Amino acid sequence: MNKLKYFAAETWASLSKNLILAVAAVTVVAVSLGILGLVVMGWNMFSNMIKNAERKVGEVDIYLSDLATAEELQAIEAFLVSIPEVDAKTVYFKDKEEALQEFKERFKDQPELWEYIDENPLPNSYELMTKDPKDVGVVVSKVSNEAPYRERIEDIKSASAAIEKLENIFDKFRQIGVIGVIALAVISILLVSVTIQVAIFARRREIGIMKLVGATNWFIRWPFILEGVSEGLVGSALAILVALSVKVWILDRLIENLQFLRLSLTPGLMWVLIPCILLGGVLIGALGSAYALGRFLEV
Amino acid sequence: MIRMRRVTKVYKGNVYALEDVTLDIEKGEFAFLVGPSGSGKTTLIKLLIKEEEPTSGQIYIADTNINQLRKWKVPYLRRKIGCVFQDFKLLPHKTVFQNVAYAMEVIGKSRRLIEQQVPEVLKLVGLGHKLDAFPDELSGGEQQRVAIARAFINRPPILLADEPTGNVDPSLGAGIVRLLEKINSTGTTVLVATHDKNIVDTFRKRVIALENGRIIRDQDRGVYGYE
Repeated sequence: MNKLKYFAAETWASLSKNLILAVAAVTVVAVSLGILGLVVMGWNMFSNMIKNAERKVGEVDIYLSDLATAEELQAIEAFLVSIPEVDAKTVYFKDKEEALQEFKERFKDQPELWEYIDENPLPNSYELMTKDPKDVGVVVSKVSNEAPYRERIEDIKSASAAIEKLENIFDKFRQIGVIGVIALAVISILLVSVTIQVAIFARRREIGIMKLVGATNWFIRWPFILEGVSEGLVGSALAILVALSVKVWILDRLIENLQFLRLSLTPGLMWVLIPCILLGGVLIGALGSAYALGRFLEV
Repeated sequence: MIRMRRVTKVYKGNVYALEDVTLDIEKGEFAFLVGPSGSGKTTLIKLLIKEEEPTSGQIYIADTNINQLRKWKVPYLRRKIGCVFQDFKLLPHKTVFQNVAYAMEVIGKSRRLIEQQVPEVLKLVGLGHKLDAFPDELSGGEQQRVAIARAFINRPPILLADEPTGNVDPSLGAGIVRLLEKINSTGTTVLVATHDKNIVDTFRKRVIALENGRIIRDQDRGVYGYE
């Protein structure tokens, strides 16, 4: 108890003496961990969106050439129905006229898009659903490699291709985010260690005397470690505030107002994220002081 | 209490600070370590508190071979040895009381014990009335008494003093050594490194003389002996 009081008093005295440096270190810790929180929340929201989208979308559209004859179309349709992954009931032939009607319906507010069309530019197509959305890729490749009269098939579209592209873009962002967070963490560790180095230098006489009268190495080290860890903790507390306010004021509203995007945060995410940010702060503080102690405190 | 066996210390650049030193100081003894500057007095003291490692030879403190002492045990060795230096090594922003209390705080002694023992020891060194003074308000002799109080506060079996009168007014040097003698009378082994001829000649204690890192004389009730 006596020791605890001593450590707390030493830590506080040292922190308040180097206030400006300590504030800088705390700020950088807060920024790094705050960005970590934002990256994790953004990543979670996006991957939930993609998962939702994948679950719903098993649709494949096969666009056909106008040159295809009735027999050729029949053969193609028979092939599509025979693919085991395809839900046979859903195979549907949509002719040019229907496609055009749909187009007009969808863009009825912008008649200039279709008013002046003389000839229907839209192709005939087959639409189908796979039994399982994850088989979309298999179906697409079977159609493009094994279907009869493949020269009559002009294009195959599936929502999953779009999703895949999105996933790729998103993966890039995630990598940048992870690299950024790591770089910021390293910078915060270094900044914390600078404050500890200054504290060690300021107290070099005390340290010499402590060694002289037989203070153990850990007794000498503890106040410095506590100083680093408390900087990390204050920084992570600020980061948690930032993450929580972004969630409440921005993300929750986005989720509510953009329901068609099926955005969501995994329930309980914050209960994992908050302890992780706290732990990150403690780690940054401890590593920063350990680095400074290793380099500048010979005990 | 202190035993050195064929101890040699060579610094970088082949500088022999100590050469083949063998020495026994018994429990409760008082000895002067004399010799001109550069004769190896300070090196010898640094070896005893394991601030330096000997190049060869063995050193025993209270029957423990300190060469083989693990690093984490060094603080416990230092608790057995009080140290006093020429430059006092007091903390300027702490009062006399706090400076002495510091030596108890850092080895985890309770507040109650500190409040009780620090004034006692400061009274012993003759500074019972200056508990709240800061070091720069004291004379060199008084500062050295604070340093001695700090070295003695945890009742170490050994007290080492490196030129304790070096920064003290010559007329007050004898008082410092008398204080060390008083501490010696409580059973503490005291070794005083000095090149203060007057003091050595006045007190007529055991004299161990070093020259160029070798012991050239070791006599009871000796004198300084250098001109």
